Amino acid sequence: MTVSHIFPHLLNGLSLGLLFALIALGFMLIVGVMELINLAHGSLFALGAYFALTIIDPSLSWFTAAEDSYTALPLIYRYGLALILAPLLVAVVGMGLELCMRRTYGKKAEYGLLLTFGAALVIEESIRLTWGPTERYLQVPEFMTGAMLFAGLIYSKYKLYAVVLSIITIFLVWLFLERSPYGAIIKAGAHDSEMVRALGINLTKLRLLVFGFGAGLAGFAGIVMTPIWGLRPHVGIDAVIPAFLIIVVGGIGSFWGAVIGGILVGLSVGITGAYASDWSLLSMYLLLIIVVTFRTRGLFGKKSILEN
Amino acid sequence: MIVRKIAAQDWITKEMLLIFVILVTLPLWIEQIGLYRYLGVEIVIWMIYGLGFNLLLGYSGLPSFGHGAFFGIGAYAFGLFQLWFFENLWLAIVFAIFASFIAGAAVACFVSHRRGIYFALMTIAFGQIFWFIAIKWHSVTGGEDGLLNIPRAAADFGIFAFDLDSNTELFYFVFIVFVCIVLLLWRLVHSKFGKVLQAIRQNEERARFIGYNVWLFKWVAFTLSAAIAGLAGVLFSMAQQGAYPDVMALHASGIIVMMTLIGGGFVSFWGPVIGVTIYFLARDVLGIITEAWLLWFGLVFVLTVLFKPEGVAGAWQEWRKSRTSTVSGYQTLLQFLSTKKR
Repeated sequence: MTVSHIFPHLLNGLSLGLLFALIALGFMLIVGVMELINLAHGSLFALGAYFALTIIDPSLSWFTAAEDSYTALPLIYRYGLALILAPLLVAVVGMGLELCMRRTYGKKAEYGLLLTFGAALVIEESIRLTWGPTERYLQVPEFMTGAMLFAGLIYSKYKLYAVVLSIITIFLVWLFLERSPYGAIIKAGAHDSEMVRALGINLTKLRLLVFGFGAGLAGFAGIVMTPIWGLRPHVGIDAVIPAFLIIVVGGIGSFWGAVIGGILVGLSVGITGAYASDWSLLSMYLLLIIVVTFRTRGLFGKKSILEN
Repeated sequence: MIVRKIAAQDWITKEMLLIFVILVTLPLWIEQIGLYRYLGVEIVIWMIYGLGFNLLLGYSGLPSFGHGAFFGIGAYAFGLFQLWFFENLWLAIVFAIFASFIAGAAVACFVSHRRGIYFALMTIAFGQIFWFIAIKWHSVTGGEDGLLNIPRAAADFGIFAFDLDSNTELFYFVFIVFVCIVLLLWRLVHSKFGKVLQAIRQNEERARFIGYNVWLFKWVAFTLSAAIAGLAGVLFSMAQQGAYPDVMALHASGIIVMMTLIGGGFVSFWGPVIGVTIYFLARDVLGIITEAWLLWFGLVFVLTVLFKPEGVAGAWQEWRKSRTSTVSGYQTLLQFLSTKKR
């Protein structure tokens, strides 16, 4: 096995890892700031894609004339609109969830987990009722489709676009969390909520916004990922499992932990995929178990109340 | 120190007898109320599963989101033993329970030093591993189609044997297992072992400082619970004459958590029994009216977590307490005194 053999698999794994990191971002934000495992993350991910589906092609037949002139617009405009509007709608749903969640604050952390699990089921069933149980296809603008040649190998253009988009998003979230005053407040709120309250910051509102932001990121990841994975009501499970694996591998409460965890998981899936493609997804669970056996809090994790 | 003698209610209670009577007569009346006998079989199997699961969730406070794996391992092992070796009910059952016991013991080694959220996440990961293997290992498990045509051999007791072909016979077989599991678990949770598990749930650190080997208690609870789930899986594969991977998926593992919680597993031994009944009635009664029954079940679960984590059993206990206190203060006083004495 030479370098040239393994190279495409490494590249494949790396790109998958960056996409996984994008999926995990919203999850990381919520778990880091609110110390809450959001098992509804996957459902919000799917919801984002379904919202986008309807925004791109609203066959609601409420106002037929308006709809016709809207669908006559070039796909790229409608897609761009979906990319902005759908995550916002998901963020609103997420905020609604956070409002319900408030009753569980101060109780054991398991209640949050149970509640979000129930919410995941409710959202998934609502999707099934609204959009039907069959597999759908999320349209993407034409310039993103097709294949391209790079270093003698064929890549799908859409995958490249998705990777670029996820790098940009990861960078923007990093900028927001690490280089803006809002990020400082968010991190301080996670670190010492009483002190932040004493400084006159409305932590209740902050938590609502952070949850909305995390949910919006989940929805955004859904729009980016589902053209690759396909869109069905239970696609969320394919997103929430890697997300939580990545967070536990990377360590709860660490931004770079999430990114590096994502890349590691992607690489392990990509490389095992080269040898045993059927079993590639098993490697991410094994990675988790190996990492957590030797480093209880993951690679970059800090102590968190979730351990209680 | 007062050593309390083992009282009669540590073995058997009125509620237990009531449930036994309801279940033993179930084949006589279930068709009269518009349901079918196979539903009874299914409900009792899941009650066994739920009771074993509640040893973890309710008594030890350990939320396992991967328990379906052991249920599935029991089902597959039962089928594989008979397909590979020979048809024998008892040996296949022993083999299947042993398989889920071993799997449970192995997983327990990795999760017993954890609690709360981390415990839940680790169990999700392990549950997914077993589910994934069940789907992908076509040559053994039959992949996504599952294992088909698992024989349902006659229950041979040496002196006499009876076929399990009809649903009524199968129901009584499952019912006898249910009675054994109820008696075993009831005795267990009212023993010192059960008390230590509850102490761990309330405050793990304190239990450790008192000198209990918390890790070992959690390990035993997890392994035992996995073995019972395996037994339930055996019965399920007998009922379905097949073993399918979907009982091992995260979705199915979550459903058992939901059933146990809605019924009131946190406060009552009978929580899972109530929860399982509610789930299957919702599936079969609500399912006729609306396709969205799972949505409603999910909403009920969310509301339960939000407003009444003690579930149906908790609500019932509270109602009874409030009722006795309004009926007469004297009774309450008596009750108070009698609880003090114990």
